[in-house]
Amino acid sequence: MVKTPLCDLLGIEYPIFQGGMAWVADGALAAAVSEGGGLGIIGAGNAPGSFVREQISVVRALTKKPFGVNIMLLSPFADEVAAVCTEEKVAVVTTGAGNPSRFMEQWLGAGIKVIPVVPSVAMTKLVTRAGASAVIAEGGESGGHIGELSTMVLVPQVCDATDLPVLAAGGIADGRGVAASFMLGAAGVQVGTRFLSAHECSIHPTYKEKILKANDIATMTTGKRLGHPVRSLKTSFARAYFKAEYDSSVSDEALEAMGTGALRLAVVEGDLQNGCFLAGEIAGMVRREQPAAEIIREMFTEAEDVLKGAGRWVR
Amino acid sequence: MVFDAIAELLAEHNDCDASEITRDTTFAEMGVDSLDTVELVMKLEDKLDCEIELTAKVSTVGELVDFVEPLVQK
Repeated sequence: MVKTPLCDLLGIEYPIFQGGMAWVADGALAAAVSEGGGLGIIGAGNAPGSFVREQISVVRALTKKPFGVNIMLLSPFADEVAAVCTEEKVAVVTTGAGNPSRFMEQWLGAGIKVIPVVPSVAMTKLVTRAGASAVIAEGGESGGHIGELSTMVLVPQVCDATDLPVLAAGGIADGRGVAASFMLGAAGVQVGTRFLSAHECSIHPTYKEKILKANDIATMTTGKRLGHPVRSLKTSFARAYFKAEYDSSVSDEALEAMGTGALRLAVVEGDLQNGCFLAGEIAGMVRREQPAAEIIREMFTEAEDVLKGAGRWVR
Repeated sequence: MVFDAIAELLAEHNDCDASEITRDTTFAEMGVDSLDTVELVMKLEDKLDCEIELTAKVSTVGELVDFVEPLVQK
């Protein structure tokens, strides 16, 4: 059995978070992950507070176990969603795309554990001081909005910069990835892409099929020109966007407009021409659809075997 | 004092001479992105021995100096 301080801190069985993927991580998926012993997370993305409140009630109807909400700090509704989390007293808030300091006081006052995604050592120090309960060190292997550093490089440096438990994220989809994360100093993992294949994940069937069929070189990064790089599957949309980025006759505004609404088209419509199918590099290792609880059990059973064998080269 | 500290940190960040930095220098032209800003502020805190909660949007060195100066005198 794999147990870390993160399990005790949050009252969860397995030290695993399901990433708060915008448009994807709804109440049903979060509840399935929490019921499976991990921490399910509702992805607020760019959605308004009313959507988040609705999803919170969906989770509460399905499980008594703790769950979290991910707040995308660049969202126009960030303030509204932050207030909903405070009112609903969710167990955990994870934050992405920025510095959560401005909300810390209200969340800590409501007894919420705040666990920010950190892309650098300086940000780790800043949120540690601000009262975070743990941090998620997310490398650029992950899907969606990404930072520059890779997981292998970022995780140990974040672990050295804070005494808080660290979750490794980006490029983890099986027990080997979990075991490797522990070796780097992490006390848990956050997994997004593998949960796209969960039975309880209600993305469009085309999206799921693309993930299951993806190979090792199936993803690419776009959006660097606008300063917000994004990893997604190499679809005709992603290739066209990439081309437009290097075309100086395309204005930044036109580029911005091209990306607007593209995630919804992928998740809801399965539109291969205009949709942006966010996925981590590890998509190539996601091969079958399973219940979320089974995914978690499988990953940690394998991690246990790997960790037990970790001393075999030591003479 | 605050200006000198910021100029010194920026000069180090950009491998240039601190004398090239003025109050009108923008962070954008120095290639300082949002992650660099966090790093810069943390280093500035160590240097000036104060706590800086960067709540305002600053785009030039002068604006950062004006924001930080009252915090140092406290």
